[in-house]
Amino acid sequence: MYNNEFFVVDMASCTSTGEIINNLSLALETLNHSGKKIVLKLNESYLNQSQMLSIQSLITSYGCSLDTVETTNEDTQKVAENMNIFVQKPIEKRIEEKYESNDNDFEKFSMDANRNITVKEVNGLHFEADLDAIQKQQDNIDISSDLKNAGISPNDDFEEIEQKVSAQYAQSQDLINQNDDIDRIENPEMFENQQSTSAITAENKEFDNTEKNTIGVYKKAYKEENIEEEHFEDVDFYETATDEPVVSDTKNTTYINQTLRSGQVLEAEGNVVIIGDCHPGSEVRAGGDITVWGVLSGIAHAGYKGNIDAKVRALKLNAIQLRIGNCYSRRPDGTNIPYIIRSSVFTPEEARVVDDEIILFKINQN
Amino acid sequence: MAGSVIVITSGKGGVGKTTTSANIGTALALMGKKVAMIDTDIGLRNLDLLLGLENRIVYTIVDVVENRCKLKQALVKDKKNPNLCLLAAAQTRDKSAVDADQLKEICGQLKEDFDYVIVDCPAGIEQGFQNAVAGANEAIVVTTPEMSAIRDADRIIGLLEAKEGVERHRLLVNRVRPKLIKLNNMLSVDDVVETLSCELIGVIPEDEHITTSTNKGDPAVNDNKSLAGMAYMNVAKRITGEEVPLLDIDVPSNIFEKIKKFFKKKEQG
Repeated sequence: MYNNEFFVVDMASCTSTGEIINNLSLALETLNHSGKKIVLKLNESYLNQSQMLSIQSLITSYGCSLDTVETTNEDTQKVAENMNIFVQKPIEKRIEEKYESNDNDFEKFSMDANRNITVKEVNGLHFEADLDAIQKQQDNIDISSDLKNAGISPNDDFEEIEQKVSAQYAQSQDLINQNDDIDRIENPEMFENQQSTSAITAENKEFDNTEKNTIGVYKKAYKEENIEEEHFEDVDFYETATDEPVVSDTKNTTYINQTLRSGQVLEAEGNVVIIGDCHPGSEVRAGGDITVWGVLSGIAHAGYKGNIDAKVRALKLNAIQLRIGNCYSRRPDGTNIPYIIRSSVFTPEEARVVDDEIILFKINQN
Repeated sequence: MAGSVIVITSGKGGVGKTTTSANIGTALALMGKKVAMIDTDIGLRNLDLLLGLENRIVYTIVDVVENRCKLKQALVKDKKNPNLCLLAAAQTRDKSAVDADQLKEICGQLKEDFDYVIVDCPAGIEQGFQNAVAGANEAIVVTTPEMSAIRDADRIIGLLEAKEGVERHRLLVNRVRPKLIKLNNMLSVDDVVETLSCELIGVIPEDEHITTSTNKGDPAVNDNKSLAGMAYMNVAKRITGEEVPLLDIDVPSNIFEKIKKFFKKKEQG
C-alpha cells in the first residue's frame, strides 16, 4: 500500500486465473519489489488450491511473499486460510458492514484517518502537499474513502482534522486490537521508518506510479552573525513556490560549458546554466535562474531585471556576493580565502529570496 | 581642508605596490587620519583582497566615472577602521574605461573630505600609470634591491619629474634581506638610493607575515609582531611629517653579536 514493505496488486478486474498470473508477473517484473509483502486484491473471482499455489510460487520466484488476499468470494477465502494466507474483505465491504453494525464504528474510521495523518507527520511532509497527494491517489488508495467516511474531507483544514481525530484518539486506542483486519495493513509501526509515500497499483496492465518525494531543506541565514544558526524547516521543496508561476522561459536558456575566470562577465536575458566553476572576480547576470554545475565563487545576480523569484543554485555556493532581483547579500568575512575551497564534498545549495532576504537552502538527497 | 594625494607606483610588477598601499593606508588610518584608497588597477584589482573587503564591493570606480552611482556610494568602509575607505577598481573592465581627467576629478573630490588619498598604481607606464599619477601631488616609488626593479624605478622617477603637479617623490626599498646584503649578494639600501639619487622614505624588510596577512585580508600593520608592519608604520609616520629613524633591520656582523641577538630574540619571542 502506501508503504515500502507492502505492495498492493489489484486484480479485481481480472476474471480468469491466466489473466491474473499474466498481470501479476508483469507487475512484479516491471518494478523491483523483492522482499516485499504482496497484498492481492481478487474481488469475486474463485481460485482453487492449485491455482492459489501457482500464484504463490510465482510471487515467491520474484523474491516476494504473498501476505494477504482480499476477496469477497467465500470459497477463495477458505482456500487462502488453508494455506495460512491472511484474508481480508475489501475496504468498501468492511465499511458497509461496520456502518450497519453500530455507532462506535465511526470512531474506528476516524482513528484510521488519524493514523494516516500521523504517518504523514512522521514522514516530515508538508501537510498541504499530503492533501494533494491524497487527492491524486483517491482512486487507488483507501485513505480517501476512510477520510470521507470519517466525516473528514481531504480539503479540510489540517488543524480541524487534528482536533477531530485527537479527541477520539484516546478512545479509539482500545479498538485497535479488536479491529485486526484493518490493523494488518494500517499498523502504525509499519510507517515509522517510512521515507516516501508511494502508491502503486497494477490495473489493466497500466502502472500508475505516483511517487511523492519531498525534500527537507535547511534554512540557513546568509549573514555573518548567523552563519552557524541552522534550523530545520518543513518545507516542501517543490510546493513552496508562489501562486503565480515563475516567469522563466525554459527555451531561453544560455548553456555554457566552460569555467568562468576572473574578469569574465556572462550576461543573459533568460536562464543560465554553467557546466564548470565561476572563479572569484567573475560575474554572472541572468534574467532568470543561475545554475552552476561546479563551484560558484564569483558574483551571481539572478533576475537582474527585478525578478525576485529567480534562484541561484550551485554544487558549492561560495559566492562573494549574491544578488537576486534587488536583494543583496555578501559572504561572511570569516571565509576570506576565496581561492582555496577546502571541500572535496560538494554541498548543493539553492539561494532564493524569502521576505526580502536571500536564504540558502540545502538540497538534500532524501 | 585639502588633503594630499599620494600615488604608490613602481613601474615593475610584483615589487609590493599594493601591499605598500594597503599597509600605509591602514597605518595612517590607525593614526587617526581620514584615508581614502583608490585602486586604479582596473581589470587586475587586488587591493580589496588585501584589505579583506572583496565581498563588500558593489560599485567600482568605473561606475562612478560612468555616472551609475555617486562617489560616496562607491566608497567601501573598512570593517575595522572607520577612518579608512576604499574605492575599488572594476574587475570586468580594462584600463581604458577611465581616463586621466576623470581620475583627477575623483582625486580632487576625495581630497576635500580626506586627509590622505592613497592611489594604488598598476604596473607599467601606459594608460593605467598615466591615470593614477594624474591627480597626485606626491609619489612613493617602490623598488626592491634588484637591478631590474631599480632600472624600472629610474624610468618612473624620470616620468614623475616631468609630470606637473607631482611635487615630491620618495623612494621606498621593499623586500630587503639584510643577510644577503651582508654576503654581498644583494644591493644595499645605500647603493639603491645612490643609484637612483632620490629621497628615501623607508626600508621594508622581507617578512613572512606579509604572505599570511595578504591571505587573511588583514594588513601587516595590524600585527604587532611583524617587522615589516613596524617598518610600514614608520613610513606612515614620515608621511605625516614626523621624524623617525630607520628601523634596525641589520643582521649582526660578528659571531658574538649573533649569539647575543639570538638570545635576545628568544627572550622576546
